[in-house]
Amino acid sequence: MFAFVAFSLRRAWQGFWRNGLMSLAATLTMVLMLVLLSGLIILLTGLNATLDFVQQEVQVVAYLKDSANQQDISGLEISLQGMAQVTQVDFVSKDQAMKDFLARHPDEAEVINSLPTNPLPASLQINLRDPNDYLDVATYLKSQPTVDRVLNIKQTVDQMVTVIGILRAGGTAILVVVGLIVLFIIVNTIRLAVVARADEIEIMRLVGASDAFIRWPFIFEGALVGLLGAVITIGLLFVGQGPITGFLSDYFRVLPVEASATVGQNIALIVLGTGVGVGVLGSYLSVRSYLIR
Amino acid sequence: MAMVSAVPSGSRSNQIRRPGATDQQSQASIPSRIVLAMQGVTKSYPNGREALHGVDLTVPEGDFVFLVGPSGAGKSTVIKLLIRDELPTRGVVLLDGRDLGRLKRREVPKIRRKIGIVFQDFKLLPNKTVRDNVGFALEVTGARRRDIEPAVDRVLRVVGLTGQADQLPGQLSGGEQQRTAIARALVHNPRLFIADEPTGNLDPLISWEIIQLLLRINELGVTVLMATHNAEVVTAVRKRVVALENGRVVRDELGAAYHRED
Repeated sequence: MFAFVAFSLRRAWQGFWRNGLMSLAATLTMVLMLVLLSGLIILLTGLNATLDFVQQEVQVVAYLKDSANQQDISGLEISLQGMAQVTQVDFVSKDQAMKDFLARHPDEAEVINSLPTNPLPASLQINLRDPNDYLDVATYLKSQPTVDRVLNIKQTVDQMVTVIGILRAGGTAILVVVGLIVLFIIVNTIRLAVVARADEIEIMRLVGASDAFIRWPFIFEGALVGLLGAVITIGLLFVGQGPITGFLSDYFRVLPVEASATVGQNIALIVLGTGVGVGVLGSYLSVRSYLIR
Repeated sequence: MAMVSAVPSGSRSNQIRRPGATDQQSQASIPSRIVLAMQGVTKSYPNGREALHGVDLTVPEGDFVFLVGPSGAGKSTVIKLLIRDELPTRGVVLLDGRDLGRLKRREVPKIRRKIGIVFQDFKLLPNKTVRDNVGFALEVTGARRRDIEPAVDRVLRVVGLTGQADQLPGQLSGGEQQRTAIARALVHNPRLFIADEPTGNLDPLISWEIIQLLLRINELGVTVLMATHNAEVVTAVRKRVVALENGRVVRDELGAAYHRED
């Protein structure tokens, strides 16, 4: 058994180097495809992170009556914080609202200053765990005596939920399609490498080599192509880490640092698994067509 | 079932051997074993062409048989059946007593090790030396590495290529390449040595060298079946000749010429 494994590994190694050009072609195809795949995964991860961020940003804004006293407001704040759907509650006072307004519209300062009183209401800005919970929280707020009115963002929320859903599904679909194309191309490249050595397989059959002796060297060789392709790909990604992270934070605004470490690890594992798996599968399928006769 | 017995090498008797007939000549005191027997073998291909029809052929141990006939007569099909690349549509092919039609899939490689085969196109691996080409046959059948070298040296001596052991096929003449292939076919100590048009790519002088080598291998006790078009060689050597035409055995004659002489 050990002798058989040693034989297969030795033959795989020899086969890889003796057919240098085909091995190179297969490995480069593998690298190209794995880079494409990991690029897509990075892109989708970025997109997802952005979508998560956008979802967190969905706020319910409740304008408070000027008559509401501080005690009532605090009570409302506490009860809101007690709701499972709510992640954060911020109180914006009338003065703060005015400052925010002036900061956004400095040209209006003259008009505002000419007003006898501050017309802007105090408000509570409530962050939601899930934008779908908007209605629950809004209904609750409307029933409160201190609340004047609730900013109606229902339509906006609904649209956003739909768009995010489409983007996620679309991204996953593209990933699956590209994954299948990658699989197909690599399997065919490895098939070419095997076909180039049909003579060798024929001789092995003629001299009475068992199927295992014919198959396993090729499978190990496919695994070698996959491993090498994966290692090169991971190397490229490592080198390109800086620009990639820059790109992600530029285009997607957010990507938590701790997430990017996990993302890197996940991508490395996916690349390695896909490379070796597809290499083995390609060899298995290619040699099989010679053995079934 | 009565089977033919051994025919002494170099016999010049001229009797016709009809399929199924017993051989009255028996100089060998010990009845030889039958290496190869085909009984009523018919082979039809999926396209409807019938390549062989009711072929009977018995080859005892130590025999040297020329399989002759025009292209398309069925020689290649006989060889494909013998190495179990094809299965007979009807009839039985026995190799060393085993029915090739009833072999399990995993037994096929073991049967193939009982056959040594060479072809017109040598089928050597261009990036392996003579030694490695020959050793390859042992290596891929799971031989222990320390057993490979002595076995390879032995067959290289038989074919006279000891001096060229470390050369690549590209550095060899056609005759030397064919001798390498012969060495590879011998390295398993085959029960049956099949040569499929072995001199097809060689000039007449080299062809003779190869024939001499095959005769010598036969003298060492290996049963030889050689399919050929080479009338000159067949006629000069005077061995058993089995002629195929349109998928039928039309002549099976000892010490015969390429063409019918009567």
